[in-house]
Amino acid sequence: MLEIRSARKVFYKGQPDEKVALDGLDLKLNTGEFGVVIGSNGAGKSSMLNAISGALVLDSGQIVINGDDVTEMPVHKRAMRLARVFQDPMKGTAASMTVAENMLLAELRSKKRSLRQGLNARRLADYRERLALLGLGLENRLDTRVELLSGGQRQSLSLIMAVGGEPELLLLDEHTAALDPRTADIVMQATVRAVDALKLTTLMVTHNMQHAVDFGHSVIMLDAGKLRLEITGDEKAKVTVPDLIGHFAVKTDRMLLAS
Amino acid sequence: MDLIQTIFWSFVALIPVTLAQSLILAFVVLGIMIPFRTLNFPDLTSEGAFPLGGCVCGVLLAAGASPLTAIAIAIIAGFLAGCCTAFIHLRFRIHTLLAGILMMTMLYSINLRIMGKSNLSVFGAPTVFDWAPFVQPGFPASKIIIAGVIGAVVFILLNMFFKTEKGTAIRAVGANPDMAEAQGINVWVATIGGVGLASAFSATGGALMVQSQGFADVNMGLGILINGLAALMIGEAIVGKQTVLRQLAAPFVGAVVYYQLVSFCLAAGMPPPDLKLATGLFVLAMLALPSLKRSRGPAPARETVRE
Ligand SMILES: Nc1ncnc2c1ncn2[C@@H]1O[C@H](COP(=O)(O)OP(=O)(O)OP(=O)(O)O)[C@@H](O)[C@H]1O
Ligand SMILES: [Mg+2]
Repeated sequence: MLEIRSARKVFYKGQPDEKVALDGLDLKLNTGEFGVVIGSNGAGKSSMLNAISGALVLDSGQIVINGDDVTEMPVHKRAMRLARVFQDPMKGTAASMTVAENMLLAELRSKKRSLRQGLNARRLADYRERLALLGLGLENRLDTRVELLSGGQRQSLSLIMAVGGEPELLLLDEHTAALDPRTADIVMQATVRAVDALKLTTLMVTHNMQHAVDFGHSVIMLDAGKLRLEITGDEKAKVTVPDLIGHFAVKTDRMLLAS
Repeated sequence: MDLIQTIFWSFVALIPVTLAQSLILAFVVLGIMIPFRTLNFPDLTSEGAFPLGGCVCGVLLAAGASPLTAIAIAIIAGFLAGCCTAFIHLRFRIHTLLAGILMMTMLYSINLRIMGKSNLSVFGAPTVFDWAPFVQPGFPASKIIIAGVIGAVVFILLNMFFKTEKGTAIRAVGANPDMAEAQGINVWVATIGGVGLASAFSATGGALMVQSQGFADVNMGLGILINGLAALMIGEAIVGKQTVLRQLAAPFVGAVVYYQLVSFCLAAGMPPPDLKLATGLFVLAMLALPSLKRSRGPAPARETVRE
């Protein structure tokens, strides 16, 4: 279970261009729940995910994962419990290292790293099997350096890396936004399959209202650093794209196009 | 004709001496390569860590320590120096190059303090080169054998290490620090440890050099960095850098080739004072090559490094 308790973060505090990114945000996500986060640009969605992962240090408030207060924990310690996929395909992988090495790094995310050889036959077979699920042929390119892959392939790899090892919490920040529609679809399908199969507690940020309607157990809408709306259960099952768009203060073309 | 012959034979006569020297300096090139290529942390500490290793080794030899003890303590000193550079960068967010300049400047004073004077002769003290089998101590052959064997062992161990789970994690920190952190890797520990290790190699080079030449000098590091970079560039041009194995081989191959080249230039009559200019121009050319190749359009070629 994830709990965010009155999280507050102000950028450029006291300066004329002061920006309140999180304004006393409260949020609860049950174990196994798949929450879809929506909200207009600058609503604080990325800031929330960064605060959960530790990349953003809160001014005040707490982050609690499965009962443990992780607010003071550095990013690399929290990584034992959570995995993320970034919007930018470059960010989630080590470009100059091979596909297999990237998979290894992800596998070791929550383990103690030893002085034994990293890549062995058993691991390579396992990686091949897991990558084959994507149907992109990555399983035959284990020795390819990631910088030679396309953005979509990299993002798919990031996803497989993130869901491996069954993290306590999965954070996805517009992870299909930088991809062409077809690849975005592949990555989205793979995401949903993995999240369902492993019952991962997941927060997924998206600007695609159709995705918010189709996927997840709840819709979480942020506005100006606060929780504006939470739709769960039956209500979520019945919600439509126009319903969601109706909650936005400002409607952008991008939203309508995406739906 | 005569002139060419003279040049050729004076070059050939120097090959063994140069080879011995280059095998020792290969450790410094290794100490430059590891932060630069593996950690993406361009580091200047070696310019101070090399004489640091030399001075520590010199003082200990003069005090009657065994040559191995002297090298071991020089390695520790070098390791600490590298750790300091990395820490300065991480803690105070000072650019890696500036952190290196600070460290190497401070090390100059420290090296002087360690020796108490700028120059210390340890001629006649026992050295690791006395232990080469079958050859007379003091001749290049013994140095080639000992330095070569140590270099080979270091090369094999590093090649194994960088493929272990821990070694892969360290490489990830160089490849993408944000990603490494998100994968649970402690970037601080990896960076400090990695730069420390690199400076330890530079110090090893200094300690071996002192044992080889029979004296320590605070100025022995002058220009070592640019020489090392030139050697690294040559090595990478010859063996490449696509795999861990090749990247690790580059410093050794590069050092051997580069110092023979220098020796040849000197034999051919190049005035020694011009050497640094020539080396600098060479490194510049190697670094500029990628952007020159892309002759049309603005060159995006820029070494991306950690700020
Ligand atoms: N590193 C930063 N420095 C300064 N201000 C920031 C920083 N990161 C975010 N902000 C500000 O905090 C607010 C929330 O930003 P955030 O990135 O969380 O929004 P978002 O909901 O993810 O938006 P988008 O949909 O555009 O991704 C914005 O006003 C933004 O300008
Ligand atoms: Mg965002």
